[in-house]
Amino acid sequence: MNSTLPSGPAVRIEGLDKYYGSFHALRTINLSVERGERIVICGPSGSGKSTLIRCVNRLEQHDGGRITVLGTELNDDVGNIDGIRREVGMVFQHFNLFPHMTVLENCMIAPMIVRKRPRAEAETTARRFLEKVRIPEQAMKFPGQLSGGQQQRVAIARALCMQPQIMLFDEPTSALDPEMIAEVLDVMVTLASEGMTMICVTHEMGFARRVADRVIFMDGGEIVEEAPPEAFFTSSRNERTRQFLSQVLGH
Amino acid sequence: MVSLLRNQKVRNALLQVLYVGSLAAMILACVMIARRNLAEQGITSGFDFLYKSTGWDVNFSLLPATANDPYWWFFLIGIVNTLFLGGTGLILATIVGTIVGLARTSANELARLLGRTYVDIFRNIPLILQVFFWYALITHLPTPRAAHEAFGMLLTSRGLYVPIPNVGGIAFAAAILAVIAAIALPLWLGRTSRLSQPFGERLGIQLASAATALATAAVILALGRLPDVPMLDFPALQGLNLQGGLRIPPEFSALAIAIAIYGGSYIAEIVRGGFKAVGKGQMEAAQSVGLSPWRVFTLVRLPLALRAMLPILANQYVWLMKATTMGIAVGFTDFFMIVALTINHSGQTLEAIGILMGGFLAINLSLAAVFNRINKAIALKGNQLRG
Repeated sequence: MNSTLPSGPAVRIEGLDKYYGSFHALRTINLSVERGERIVICGPSGSGKSTLIRCVNRLEQHDGGRITVLGTELNDDVGNIDGIRREVGMVFQHFNLFPHMTVLENCMIAPMIVRKRPRAEAETTARRFLEKVRIPEQAMKFPGQLSGGQQQRVAIARALCMQPQIMLFDEPTSALDPEMIAEVLDVMVTLASEGMTMICVTHEMGFARRVADRVIFMDGGEIVEEAPPEAFFTSSRNERTRQFLSQVLGH
Repeated sequence: MVSLLRNQKVRNALLQVLYVGSLAAMILACVMIARRNLAEQGITSGFDFLYKSTGWDVNFSLLPATANDPYWWFFLIGIVNTLFLGGTGLILATIVGTIVGLARTSANELARLLGRTYVDIFRNIPLILQVFFWYALITHLPTPRAAHEAFGMLLTSRGLYVPIPNVGGIAFAAAILAVIAAIALPLWLGRTSRLSQPFGERLGIQLASAATALATAAVILALGRLPDVPMLDFPALQGLNLQGGLRIPPEFSALAIAIAIYGGSYIAEIVRGGFKAVGKGQMEAAQSVGLSPWRVFTLVRLPLALRAMLPILANQYVWLMKATTMGIAVGFTDFFMIVALTINHSGQTLEAIGILMGGFLAINLSLAAVFNRINKAIALKGNQLRG
């Protein structure tokens, strides 16, 4: 995969099906994400939102349909999978930092090994992104010595150090204490304002309203509704969406 | 007085005095009884016997041994033999355990089944039976005249004959130290330079240090070479028996194989547990940044699994080291057998058993101390709870 990519959507998902045994987890999903677009996916637990974005970088294998990322089809071709993973960063609910490496090493390892960057360059990049997520002073600490919010910001920096074209967020604030959610969301807002293509699974409706170009509501493995945030929050006519919103926003 | 007895501190102190006092009285009584019994049998207690020559021989020794050597030298031979057997057994058991453990965590169903069968069989048969089994098998190998040959080594019912370098004893020992350094130095450098050196350069430095140490070993061997003989002494048939090379007796091979196979089944379970303890999330994160399956394994999965395994592994190693005392069952002159022979020949039961216990304590406490140090050095920093 080269850096001058053909035009076309960043991610195109056509007729995607996914089963866990006999359980139909994703039902004929169609979704296209443009370059620079910010998508928020929400929905009740078990609705398939995490599974959907985990299919985009092949942490889950899809059983039917096509996924095309940056013009490359995601199939059994290992070269394609590696190429796509290089360009797609992911942030997890439980951070998943490498606990035996320092914060700096967490951020440097993939650029050095996958992108074959020289050490000095990888370190400069790592420090720049740690600065960006506002924890440059923690570079020499280990993940276990940081708070949850700090760890999640390191996880964002780690993904950014690969200088990906697309970022996936899988419930990045769900495991955090309330006072730490803001610091992570701030970083995500900054990222969005810089034009990063983002697909976020989150229940932070304030974030969705402020940042998203489109909000996607999933239930039972299907996309139920797809709308710009204003329309989604104020004038949805779908019964399931309205019920979900009343539960999330009710308190 | 009564109020004094109700005082918690006074009570605790009294209990301590009572405890220590009765312990001391018991030890004193034991010593006195033993002294009287020994005097009645005409045995003088004490450690003077250590300097007398033994008058008997050992069937296997890495150090030069004759019947004229004193007891203390024989004890040393026993300790070296035990360490040699234990070290060989531990290394082989670790290799077997790692392979079987990986098979048990593999995605391949056949590999998992084979691994499980292995563990089920060898973990549930007593070690001593396994020792006898391998001993019987090895002693039924062909005679020296029909020996199996491979790489200059000869496999016979009298043991395994391996070529040895024709090198002076001190030079040989120094060369072994250099080879150990060649393994230890890169590991140590990897620890100390992890923050200051890049991954690539670090590997370069590690390889360079290993190469230097190996070169040193080669130079030592070349300098210590005995005159007028070939570099390597190959075993060869002369008449009815084999001459030259080093003979590894069937007793040693049987024990080493038994410890490797039996210990391997326990270590396999430790390895499996270690890999299971690694969070799926860390591996997914490593995949998501584009690391190849091999890199995910070497950079994330293995290092984290090792940390989970190490404390239990240390326990297992101490256990296996003690299992070398099975030597007496097939007649390998390990530390325990030397002590048993000493008791038979000299009658110095208490002293000899005291030395045996002290020796094993020293070996296993050192082993545990080394592992504790490693464990502490690589322990994950901070709180590993997420969220």
